[in-house]
Amino acid sequence: MKHLPHTLILLPLLFGAGCGDSDTASGAWVWNLPDTVPPPRVPEDNPMSEAKVELGRFLFYDTKLSANQTQSCGSCHRQELAFTDGLAQAEGSTGEIHPRSSMSVANSGYAASLTWANPAVVRLEEQALVPMFGEDPVELGMANMEDELLRRIREDERYPDMFAEAFPKEADPISLDSITKSIASFQRALTSFNSKHDRGSSALTLSEQRGKALFFGGTNEAGVPDALECFHCHGGFLLSQAVDHDGSEFNQQTFINNGLYKLDSDGSYPDGNQGLFDITNDPADKGKFKPPSLRNIAVTAPYMHDGSIATLEEVVDHYARGGREIESGPNAGDGFDNPNKSSFLNGFEITEQEKQDLIAFLRTLTDEDLLTNPALSDPFAQ
Amino acid sequence: MKRLGALMALCAVGLGCGDDSNSSSTRQQVEISYAAVVGDQPFVCGNRYDNLGANDTSLVLSDFRFYVQNVDMKNAAGAWIPVELDENEFQTTGVALLDFEDCASMGNEDLNGLVTGSLPAGEYDGLRFTMGVPFEMNHVNHSTAPSPLNLTSLFWNWQGGYKFLRIDSGQFSETDWRMHLGSTGCVGDAMAGGVTECANGNRVTVEFASFDPSVNTVVADYEALVEGAALDQNEAADAGCMAKPADTDCGPLFANLGLPFGGTPAGTQQFFSAE
Repeated sequence: MKHLPHTLILLPLLFGAGCGDSDTASGAWVWNLPDTVPPPRVPEDNPMSEAKVELGRFLFYDTKLSANQTQSCGSCHRQELAFTDGLAQAEGSTGEIHPRSSMSVANSGYAASLTWANPAVVRLEEQALVPMFGEDPVELGMANMEDELLRRIREDERYPDMFAEAFPKEADPISLDSITKSIASFQRALTSFNSKHDRGSSALTLSEQRGKALFFGGTNEAGVPDALECFHCHGGFLLSQAVDHDGSEFNQQTFINNGLYKLDSDGSYPDGNQGLFDITNDPADKGKFKPPSLRNIAVTAPYMHDGSIATLEEVVDHYARGGREIESGPNAGDGFDNPNKSSFLNGFEITEQEKQDLIAFLRTLTDEDLLTNPALSDPFAQ
Repeated sequence: MKRLGALMALCAVGLGCGDDSNSSSTRQQVEISYAAVVGDQPFVCGNRYDNLGANDTSLVLSDFRFYVQNVDMKNAAGAWIPVELDENEFQTTGVALLDFEDCASMGNEDLNGLVTGSLPAGEYDGLRFTMGVPFEMNHVNHSTAPSPLNLTSLFWNWQGGYKFLRIDSGQFSETDWRMHLGSTGCVGDAMAGGVTECANGNRVTVEFASFDPSVNTVVADYEALVEGAALDQNEAADAGCMAKPADTDCGPLFANLGLPFGGTPAGTQQFFSAE
């Protein structure tokens, strides 16, 4: 008993309780992750807290973030669709059609680069500015309305207290910086690793197990080892090679051409939607896009950067052929022959049963908890 | 923090913080005037201008803003001496916004045609500056940047930077012809937390061997910028020139800015002149 007081004094210090090194006063953040998954990278200037994530949830779903107050981030990133919108191409708040399909923002804290094909955008706080203030295309349409945005937030009855709690060290916590930091924190909290697949092979049906084997390099009925080659681009805990996390020491940005188009001998894709090429101008980058995570893929149709494939069955057909042929019209050409196409896309033989097995496995990647968890839901929903 | 702030404030007004060359007694103020024109007419926000570009197009111009940095003046010995820019709502940390629009849907009513600052007392007879924002300020957190780097209509977030130059016609319709210039070909990585380099800086350096700020004005001419450009059509997907390397509408404008584009090497800029 005599020595107990020393222990009592030391323990709280060792475990960091109340040592003042946290940005936030309340709600220390705990990652709820399986031990097979590392935490995402969290910027030093934006530590996680429950208060900030909750504020970020409100902002994510708040139509005050669009100029005409018709859309929120959640309009194109709906929880029940694993934070996508079900559209081939997104529609902005003014009706402008985006050249790209809305990506799932589940697990976006693990992206080596954000959006479909942009090596420059690597931080969620910065990425949030693109839909808010971008003009080409217009999404939320808030460019030049930063003062109006802050006025709307300040006049809201709920937000001043929420910002003060989430940013206790800030004298004036309502700012563009705290808005983007809160939304980014909510996005980092959108982790999704509670699918049937995460419970191990023993949780899977025989069909799902066969599909999993084909996905991860198994031999198909035609006798070809690693016939499908899916996991080369869609491997690892994220089911995407383009991954980053708090232990990453190397840049794992990945962009590949999967043979969707071949408009000319350079391997062009439709103008204005050529992927990495639109950034680098290197003809070898035409048609290169990030291989997205396949988690929740069964609920995020339609597929590809432009939503040009409607169903998982057609996606499998596309890869089995090794590229898509478009016979007529402005996009005519055979993507199989695209000079920039990944060497993993050689096509493969697949039986109807194997196709069903593979799709059965892809359906095990759905995390029902992500789709229904009230903590991630729209707080403004009626 | 408060004490440090007070000390810095004293230094800023030149009260003996150890660097005599910075003290007010040996420095002089300079004001450099900028003007925006369209050929022989002054730029007036919302006015229509005719006979522009390769196909004599008429455009209603509604925005005309650009950032400058690296403002130097040439002294009697022929050396380029940096102008230390004042801090105000149009200038921060050596970067100034020249703002000639007061009617744009993406703008505001405030105007600015002056760059102000100080340099060591003496005679100066030349001017040089760079249009753009320096790399190290271009790719940091825009949400915490001071004015004039906090204007969301000048954010260029798809490349993690700012629009160095923005001249718009139209109000977001099919016939818009917009010119937005910023760095392109940028790459970053998650470890660095942002952009690490850009293949095309797209900053325009301008030098006038002879320039007297009490007499001369730096003139930015839209007519000279769009000379040779087909303003009645959009070859590429974007409405006008969004500075994307594949946006072939940009070719003539980059040439007139003295910037390389595609396989075309840099030429001589003709957008800016001294009058």
